[in-house]
Amino acid sequence: MTDPSLAPSVLAPLSGAEEGGRVPPRWYSHAYNRPEVYRLAAAMGWLPRPARLGLARALGRAARRFFPAERAVVRATLEVMTAASGARLDELTAGVFRDFAMCFSDLVTTNRQPSTRLAEHVSQARGTERLERLEGGLISLTAHVGNWELAGRLLALRSARPTHVVVAEEEVRALKRWVRRDGDGVRFVPRSAPTVSLQLVAALRRGEVVAVQGDRALGTRGDVLVPFFGRPAPFPLGPFILARALRVPLVPAFCMLDSDRRYEVTVPEPLTVAAGSEEEALRTWVALLEDTVRRHPTQWFNFFDVWNPIPG
Amino acid sequence: MESGKVLDAIKTLLVERLKFDPARAADITVHTSLPKGIEGSLGLDSLDFIELAMGIEERCGVMIDDQEDLAPHFKSVGALVDFVASRQSGR
Repeated sequence: MTDPSLAPSVLAPLSGAEEGGRVPPRWYSHAYNRPEVYRLAAAMGWLPRPARLGLARALGRAARRFFPAERAVVRATLEVMTAASGARLDELTAGVFRDFAMCFSDLVTTNRQPSTRLAEHVSQARGTERLERLEGGLISLTAHVGNWELAGRLLALRSARPTHVVVAEEEVRALKRWVRRDGDGVRFVPRSAPTVSLQLVAALRRGEVVAVQGDRALGTRGDVLVPFFGRPAPFPLGPFILARALRVPLVPAFCMLDSDRRYEVTVPEPLTVAAGSEEEALRTWVALLEDTVRRHPTQWFNFFDVWNPIPG
Repeated sequence: MESGKVLDAIKTLLVERLKFDPARAADITVHTSLPKGIEGSLGLDSLDFIELAMGIEERCGVMIDDQEDLAPHFKSVGALVDFVASRQSGR
């Protein structure tokens, strides 16, 4: 769940950042990933939510002019995802900045409300009852689409178990207060050393929840190329190796902004990973992700070339 | 299981589960570091540590479910041998 920063990731795939000899991509280091931006967004929290989202929407549409590189990547990505062109493609491109601004505004305000109030912002929840049927440890699998952090918090509440959210080491320490606030059963686990996986093994053994992002490769041996909108893209295999080793289910979860500016939470059928079928399970996950993005192309919040993310 | 046997078990795990070259495993001592990023270490990454933890559970009968930070126990082969041996003896 959680990558609050503008474009950047907090929830990162397992593995990575530790791969010697290769420089992993740093999705989260953008020039605008600064405390001032978070402070400004948080300061709008006093506004009633409809007004705040209206303002965020307008700012998001205007902001795209100041980010030509990101705008170009978003446009090229949407062209592949939707086959749109011309004015329709321009509209979709603007829509990504608009929707991102709204989700970001909620991230630093609405998402920080007591967890018991979060449900007020959910219009529909499909499949969440599946969580209640699962016993023992599980891995919650999300991606940088919609308001993934809210999905994580809601699922942590629903699963009634401590949730360990795997996050990239925050480069900008000052952002921690906005994006890494422990509480309500959620604990952030920075992916700062290879031994981080031992914490996750132990948590799953205790019957707790581990939350990871499954959409960003890190340039490590754990990346696998999987067709995504018809083109091979690297995705992290780590969560699937962890699930197979611990014999725990992977529970995909999506939280998408709807036309009424509330959220639709969807929890598809959990994935089980047998020995030797890790890549097959990864492909199933990527297909689920593709289906979600196809229905909500303006809520795919990865501002880089997902098919060629590793420099060089 | 005495310390020497734990060390042998760890070497066997490295070969059988983590696919290390047996010749390289034979050179491992208690002073050998495990995580990558340390000069002269075995260079284990996060995926390796998952396999190593599971292998220790299965082969040595030690449950990896600690609340405490496990990283110091997996810093070197010697630290891991001590950790496993102490768990087995109930210390």
